[in-house]
Amino acid sequence: MNRSLVTEKLTAIFRTVFNDEGIELRDDLTANEVANWDSLTHMLMIGEVEKEFSIKFKLKELGKLEDVKSLIDLIEHKMNS
Amino acid sequence: MRSNNTFHSEVLQPFFFASEKYADSNAFCINEVFYSYKQLGETISAIRASVKELRADNINVGLVANDDLETYAAIIALWLEGKCYVPVNPETPAERNRNVLTQAAASVVIDSSDEVLFPELNVIRSKELVFTKLDLEPVQVEDDALAYIFFTSGTTGVPKGVPISRTNLAGFIKAFFELGITMDPSDKCLQMFELTFDLSVMSYLAPLLRGACVYTIPKNKIKFNYIADLLEQHNLTVALMVPSIIHYLRPYFDEIDCASMKFSLFCGEALPLDVTSEWAACVPNAKIMNVYGPTEDTIFCTHYTYSRAGENKASNGLMSIGKAMNGTFTIIINDKKEMVNAGEKGELCLGGVQLTPGYWMNDEKNKEAFFYTNYKGESTRFYKTGDLCLADEEGDIMYLGRIDSQIKVQGFRVELSEIEFFAKEFLNKVNAVAIAFTNKLHNTEIGMVIESTDFDTKPLLEYMKTKMPGYMIPTQMRFINSFPLNTNGKIDRKVLKEKF
Repeated sequence: MNRSLVTEKLTAIFRTVFNDEGIELRDDLTANEVANWDSLTHMLMIGEVEKEFSIKFKLKELGKLEDVKSLIDLIEHKMNS
Repeated sequence: MRSNNTFHSEVLQPFFFASEKYADSNAFCINEVFYSYKQLGETISAIRASVKELRADNINVGLVANDDLETYAAIIALWLEGKCYVPVNPETPAERNRNVLTQAAASVVIDSSDEVLFPELNVIRSKELVFTKLDLEPVQVEDDALAYIFFTSGTTGVPKGVPISRTNLAGFIKAFFELGITMDPSDKCLQMFELTFDLSVMSYLAPLLRGACVYTIPKNKIKFNYIADLLEQHNLTVALMVPSIIHYLRPYFDEIDCASMKFSLFCGEALPLDVTSEWAACVPNAKIMNVYGPTEDTIFCTHYTYSRAGENKASNGLMSIGKAMNGTFTIIINDKKEMVNAGEKGELCLGGVQLTPGYWMNDEKNKEAFFYTNYKGESTRFYKTGDLCLADEEGDIMYLGRIDSQIKVQGFRVELSEIEFFAKEFLNKVNAVAIAFTNKLHNTEIGMVIESTDFDTKPLLEYMKTKMPGYMIPTQMRFINSFPLNTNGKIDRKVLKEKF
């Protein structure tokens, strides 16, 4: 799966979980800029990502997430390993 | 009063002692930066110099609750001068914060933000103050003076103030350490709460009275992730958490091994026994305690210790909240305000040293919530918690649910009727009902059902966000043509709940 397809799928998840059809993903997008991105929706989003890409994150990996770029990097890393 | 000044002996004196004796130990770890007791003492002294210049009638002082040393130092500085803090969260809508400050008659605000939040008030900019001389000796103040006022969700859109006196807080601290919880300068203690939430008070204050270090959570971090990192990297030894944190962490329990944890306390929401048993393996050396109490009875006032080997008392899978802490009285009453027998359901009522003097300037609510009854031969004041409970033959209390529509979201008290109040204010004659439901992570979420055909709810949500803190905003919206009614002719909330 290439990066743009990952981004496309991730965008759909973000729009549903954070309940905002207008969300556009950028590499440096963080929780601060998305109104509904809190502990609860973060966990729901992570759950949807795991399901969509058939991967399972480690707690330590989640702790290192800084922005959308690091999330996409992590998804790609998990899918290729 | 003066002969029995417990706030001095339980709080101010132990802090003074710790700050002198452990000057080079860490008092805080904030966003990966450590601050010593010496630095804390100097920051307190600098703020105190400004507080000293306030007029005598500036008793209740607003505090912008940032995550920095200055904000914590301001609390101690105010107490040393006999003043009371009224915390406001900068992320909460300004209109609500102004309502809180006006209600508390706080015309002075201590603010460490780069840009002041309330320019119309007299602002002490705590980050700009310069330290000159160490000044941590408390002034003599009567114990019935207030330590803080916290505002919680009210049923009619107006936040309700709960004042806690110095007697109340000293009573809590004394009873807390009498639970057998020990701390010293080697301890590393979690402070995961916003300063507008009273569980924060135990989390920062108890460690500071014993020379231990307080670890806070930066505001822009995902809380449970940051807590997991702290457990792993800093080997925390004491943690008071809301149960929703371990619900979030549950899928990752096999990665958590925190052997350093000595005391793992839970409060703020019902604690399921099954997740606690799994958590016990993550903190193999910790004493796990379920503590309970409303803001009105100062932080928490009952306790139950989880048994690793034996049976644990529970009702509907929720762990018992145990027995009263020292100085607290618990009774369970029926609707005639008569005490019920062991095993019978009723409303839990609390009395004793930790009980608030009453809601801030709210006679009507005080008449509803507080009453006197004969307890062990003396006329004693009690608070009706609204919690449905029963006590077993050994006196251990089981929590069964709420009597009214108050719910807990991540430990925060929320009146569903307050959410409905603001929704209806915007919707103009269209009816709306707020519903608490349990999501697949076993945490409480708020949904809203609107009696209407579909429409774009974004403007409604935007409006509500200007009126209420984020945790009160519904996360799911549903529409229904007409609300189902139950046999009493009231809206059937149970049926509506099935929509989530």
